[in-house]
Amino acid sequence: MSRRSWLLLLAWCLMLGIGFAEVQSRLSISADLRLFMPTPHTEAQRLLVGSIGESPASRLQLLAISGPEPHELARISKALVAALGAASEFEWAANGEQAGPSIAERLLPYRYLITDSLDQRPLDESELAGALTDRAQDMSSPLAGMLEEWLPRDPTLETLHLISQWQPRKEPRRIDDVWFAADGRHTLLVVETRAAAFDPDGQTRALQRLQVEFARLRGAIPAVLTVSGSGYFSSLIKNRTQREATLFGTAATAALVLLMWLAYRQIRFALLGALPLLSAALAGLAAVGAIFESVHGITLAFGFTLIGVAQDYPMHVFSHLRVGERPAETAHGVWPPLRTGVASTCIAYLAFLLSGVTGLAQLACLTVTGLAVAAVTTRYVLPHVIGSVTKDSAQGAWLDRLNVRIDRLPRPYALLAIIPVACGAALFMSSQPFWQNDLSRLTPVPLDLLRRDAELRKELATPDLRYLLVVSGRDAQDALEQLENLDARLATAVRSGSIGSYDHPARYLPSIGRQLRRRAALPDAGALRDMLTAATVGLPFEAALFAPFVEDVARARELAPLALADLAGTPLALRISSGLFARDGRWLGIVSFYDVHDAAVLEQTLRGIPGATFLDLKAASEELIAVQRAHILRCLEFAALFLVAVIWLALRSASRVVRVLMPMVLTTLLIVTVLRASGVSLNLFHLISLVLAAGLGLDYALFFEHAAAHADEQRRTLHALLVCSLSTLLVFALLAFSTVPVLQAIGITVSLGVIGNFALALLLTRERRHSRAAP
Amino acid sequence: MIANPAHSLGIEELEAKLVRKPPVVTPFVDYRFSHVLKVPVRSSGTLEYREDEALVRTVTSPFREQAEVMGEEVQIRRGERPERRVSLQRVPQLRVLLGSFRAMLDGHVSQLSQDFNVVLADQPGRWALTLRPLDARLARYLDRIEVHGTADRPHCLEVVEPDGDATLTFLETPPDERISARPVLESLCRGVTPEKTGHER
Repeated sequence: MSRRSWLLLLAWCLMLGIGFAEVQSRLSISADLRLFMPTPHTEAQRLLVGSIGESPASRLQLLAISGPEPHELARISKALVAALGAASEFEWAANGEQAGPSIAERLLPYRYLITDSLDQRPLDESELAGALTDRAQDMSSPLAGMLEEWLPRDPTLETLHLISQWQPRKEPRRIDDVWFAADGRHTLLVVETRAAAFDPDGQTRALQRLQVEFARLRGAIPAVLTVSGSGYFSSLIKNRTQREATLFGTAATAALVLLMWLAYRQIRFALLGALPLLSAALAGLAAVGAIFESVHGITLAFGFTLIGVAQDYPMHVFSHLRVGERPAETAHGVWPPLRTGVASTCIAYLAFLLSGVTGLAQLACLTVTGLAVAAVTTRYVLPHVIGSVTKDSAQGAWLDRLNVRIDRLPRPYALLAIIPVACGAALFMSSQPFWQNDLSRLTPVPLDLLRRDAELRKELATPDLRYLLVVSGRDAQDALEQLENLDARLATAVRSGSIGSYDHPARYLPSIGRQLRRRAALPDAGALRDMLTAATVGLPFEAALFAPFVEDVARARELAPLALADLAGTPLALRISSGLFARDGRWLGIVSFYDVHDAAVLEQTLRGIPGATFLDLKAASEELIAVQRAHILRCLEFAALFLVAVIWLALRSASRVVRVLMPMVLTTLLIVTVLRASGVSLNLFHLISLVLAAGLGLDYALFFEHAAAHADEQRRTLHALLVCSLSTLLVFALLAFSTVPVLQAIGITVSLGVIGNFALALLLTRERRHSRAAP
Repeated sequence: MIANPAHSLGIEELEAKLVRKPPVVTPFVDYRFSHVLKVPVRSSGTLEYREDEALVRTVTSPFREQAEVMGEEVQIRRGERPERRVSLQRVPQLRVLLGSFRAMLDGHVSQLSQDFNVVLADQPGRWALTLRPLDARLARYLDRIEVHGTADRPHCLEVVEPDGDATLTFLETPPDERISARPVLESLCRGVTPEKTGHER
């Protein structure tokens, strides 16, 4: 290598170092999965995207502790709740020992403003007489002991009425005052994390804290903690994806270096070959950093996978190196097909830039910039640092023999008919939907964990996660009033049996207007005393017994309506905040449902209420994904047309264009056929992988086509493409073994693509050398 | 209560005598004494231990009510009203009472000593079983349960709360309806006064 080459190499490495430092200091990596959510269009979709991961309900994690001895489990449960209640990662923790929804002592007089039981029948003499007669009878009931405590202060039992209204209809059984599963084998807890469900890093921190506390409290007892909930899943997914990506990445890198050495027998090629790739990665990151505020972790992981094909570019140069030709000339020679391939691949990825999904736009930006930089550095910088060429790379008797043998293979033109027909048949006959719209199928949460989650939710009687009714108000009061107006319809839904029950914040905190009306209907102390005197005649109670009651009613008549602020720090505030919160300048009120039996009837019942939106989160997310995909497909159609135009410009011959496109089109159909025939529904990641595979196919075909019928050129091209396709296959075949469905989908699709494209480009695009291949 | 060692009736012996195989139905008369009441409230009806192990308490006078305890839930139906369901977890005192009642019917009196200080007083012609809760939290609701009986029959249950409120449940010999004085009713329950006002069934 000349001094100039060394200097250039040094400068290149230096620039990469500076670029790395710069990118590292400036780039902020986000873990918010919502970057991968499409832009919402309908109100339901906006609510979906906006409330995912933000609503307190989604931050709930369900815990189960199992072990041999229930009393020990109960002890651990209690200690854990205390420890987590004090931990900064958690809002609160509950295990049933907390006095459910109760009214704080200081707020007790407010019960006459909160309760709905006096709305129909005002608190008058006959109402009171009826209540007191009931209480007298209660004195002979098994509940006498419990009711006596309340009697002097609350003869109409408003407190009990409210608490029983607020109680979940079903509660887990208790052992030692804490929740247990019905079989008594595990104790149950609910915690709310501070971190949003879709913040895997925050969730991971919370989880670690939880496990540390549990390990400490468990001591030597062989108790096992199980965690469940969307936050736990997001942390699980992220960590597993990261672990597998690192594992496969390391394995692939080692295998690549080995392959490069086997192919070129020179370790410097393996090292130099990494330079365009590193330049691509840094330039891509810098571009994303410059355009977007933060880059998503998935963009990084996935983007590097896509950029990985840039590893092929230097290989084309290396394989074509020969004694007597300067590397710069070699690079000049491989540039036309390389340039066309890179340009068309970039066009395909540009379609994702217009997808409207931030994460995908970032991905496109990273990939397009990266591939372009890799191509340019391969063409203009790499040749000048290679140094002297001492032998042809693509040499060897085996290569010649292989070359001849391939030439003798029959040309499978029949595939031109077979593959489209098979594809049509597979599409027609498959019973699975073509596209996978179900987001939960994409999540790599193992099925047994999902089943366990469903079980825990059932045990703990948590609200339905799929259906919600949402109102949007100018302020909290407006939202509360709207919620109150829904009660009649909701009661109809309960009566019709479409839901078991429902819950919303106005059940705990009525609107100011309603509270004022109730306050105005309360009798004054004098009138109440007279009523009591009359009502106790013939009953075993002295009227004077009820002095605390008279006092509470008198106090209620003076109270300002209960406001959200008055409830701060009480269990009621928690209940309310999960269903009443401000977002984008509006206040949202959420009605949640329990035991949804018939969603269709429920939707029918709740249809057409002004200002209220019935949300089917699953349907909304599926619709969102379908709309999004239609948009991306349209972009890809345009990209395909544009791509053909670019290839036409480069080759300027219809037959050449057809020969170049054939393997790519057939392989894409083949992949779809294989996936469909094996019952796989396609998702966004399949789509991206198909584009990646198509880009590879185009590259292969362009190079084989470029080599024309020259024997030496064909041998070198075969060498280059063997190295390229083997290295790509290696990386993606490894991914196909991943347990993360997304990685697996990419791995399988691209592996199929590499095999199909290489074989078809070799057999359909490469020209036969009739002179030598003739029998 | 003073135990009589010379004439000792063991708890095991008693529990064997008390065992009843469901279904069992027995009439009862209840008196409730409470600080919130001017006069004790009297009610009567039947207690039933059903084959499905549910305990049913049916009041027929002075009003109609049925309370059914099945598992951890009490269902109370009174007149035409919608039934009231209460989890026993919310009414610990009732839960304990029912638990001890069930234990007696099932012949598990000796097991009660896990939760209670159990004293059996055996006197000629009658016996009394006193249960005092060991758990401090339970002791806030319940001072003691006394069961008075002769031979293999419990006659009367006395449940006393720490504030002095009490319930007397007569199973065999209902007192005259005109009696309302607590000391007299207590004596009748304990079977210590001559039966000048009681009338045999």
